[in-house]
Amino acid sequence: MDFNWSIFWESIPYLLKGAALTLRLSLISVGIGIILGLLLSLLRISKIPLLRVPAAIYVEVLRGTPLLMQLLIIYYALPSLGLNLGAVTSAIVGLSLNSTAYIGEIFRGGIQSIEKGQMEAARSLGMTYLQAMRYVILPQAFRRILPSLTNEFVAMLKDSSLASNLAVTELLRAGREIVAWKANVFSPFIGVALIYLIMTFPLTRLSSYMEKRLKTSD
Amino acid sequence: MIEIVNLHKKFKNLYVLKGINLEINKGEVLVIIGPSGGGKSTLLRCINRLEEPTEGEVYISGIRITDPKVNINKIREKVGMVFQLFNLFPHLTVLENITLAPIKVKKISPEVAKEKAYELLRRVGLVDKAKSYPSQLSGGQQQRVAIARALAMEPDVMLFDEPTSSIDPEMTKEVLEVMKQLAYDGMTMIVATHEMGFAREVAYRVAFLDDGQIIEYGPPKEFFDNPKEERTISFLSKIL
Repeated sequence: MDFNWSIFWESIPYLLKGAALTLRLSLISVGIGIILGLLLSLLRISKIPLLRVPAAIYVEVLRGTPLLMQLLIIYYALPSLGLNLGAVTSAIVGLSLNSTAYIGEIFRGGIQSIEKGQMEAARSLGMTYLQAMRYVILPQAFRRILPSLTNEFVAMLKDSSLASNLAVTELLRAGREIVAWKANVFSPFIGVALIYLIMTFPLTRLSSYMEKRLKTSD
Repeated sequence: MIEIVNLHKKFKNLYVLKGINLEINKGEVLVIIGPSGGGKSTLLRCINRLEEPTEGEVYISGIRITDPKVNINKIREKVGMVFQLFNLFPHLTVLENITLAPIKVKKISPEVAKEKAYELLRRVGLVDKAKSYPSQLSGGQQQRVAIARALAMEPDVMLFDEPTSSIDPEMTKEVLEVMKQLAYDGMTMIVATHEMGFAREVAYRVAFLDDGQIIEYGPPKEFFDNPKEERTISFLSKIL
C-alpha cells in the first residue's frame, strides 16, 4: 500500500474542486430529470396510446442500456451529426436524459399509489384532469416519493463519475489525474472515496428518516 | 330535473345496470336501496359520468349529459357527490378541502370562498375543525366535511353513495341529520343507502335496485308498509 499523508492532504483542494463539479452535474441533472420525469410519467399513464407508447419505449431504452454507453454516444457520436456539445454539456444532457427515465418511473409509481377516490372526488367537483393532478394527486404523490427522489440524487452523485470518461474533471477524474501526476494510487483515491461518502451519507440518512416519518403518518 | 332513460352499464364481463328509467324532480329526494353489488353505486356514478354508461341517456336540467360533446366538468360543478369513503384530500386542511374547487374551478376569490366555507362548516357543525386535517377527524366528521365540500360548489343536485356505510354506528346520526336538514332545505338528492329510517322519513320516492334493475319504486310509506314484489319483501325482511 502506497498511502502517503502529504500526498493525501495535497490532493484535497483539487479533489474538492472536482466534487463541486460532481455536485453541480448531479443537481442540474436531477433537477432537469424531475421536470422532464414528471412530464414523462404523465405521458406514461395517459389513456392515449400515441402518448403512452413512446414514453414507455423511452423508459425501456434509457433504463435498458448502459449509462456509460449513452454518455459516449452523446459525446463522441453526436458531433459526427453536426451536434457538438462539449464535455460538460454532454455529461449534463446524458445524465439528465437518463435520470428522466428513472425519475419518471418514480413519479408514475407515486401517482398510481394515490387512492382512486382522490381523483374521483376532485373530478366530481368539476376539476379538469390536469387540475386534479396539480392540486390533489401530485402534492400527495410528491410527498410519498421524496425518499426515492433523494435516493435517486445519491445514485446520481455516484453515477456522474461516469462523466470522467468524457474529459469532465469531476471528483473521480480529479482523483485519477492526481494518481497520474503523483504516481500514487491510494492517497488521492481514499480522498475521493471520503468526499463521496461525505456527500452521500447524510442524504441516505435523510432518505430513511423521511421514509420512517412517512410510514407513521400514513 | 334529472331524467334517466334506459340506462345500461356493462363492465368487461359484468352486466351491472340493465335498463334503468327514473325521473327526479327539483327538490325531491330519491333513496335507492338494495343489496351490495346490485348497481346502486354504478347508477350514481353514471349520473356524473364517473362511469361512462354503455347505453341510454341521462338528462340533468334538460341537458343530455351522455352527449359525448358535453363539457362534463361544467355539469359536475352542478352535481355534488359524497362518497362512501369520504375521499377528503388528506394533504389539505378542512378549510382548504372546501375552498379548493370554488377557487380553482369557479374562480371565486379566496376571501369569499373562505367566508362561504365557514358558513357551510357552521351548517354541518364543524367550525372549530376548519384548521384540522382530515386524519384528525372521526369518520362522521370527515363525511360532514365532504358534504360541505360538495355544497361549496352550490350544486343543483347531490348524489350520496352510501354515505354512512363506513362510519361507526354512533356517528352515523350526525351525518344523517345533516342530510335531513339538506333535504328539508329543498336540495334535490339521490341517496344510495342502507339506512331504512332515513329512507322512510326523508325520501320522496324509494327505489329498490337489485341485479341491475329497479324492482320496485314508490313513496316510502307504500314501499315499506306494502311492498308488492317478492324480492323487495324478502330484502326488507332481512334488513328490517
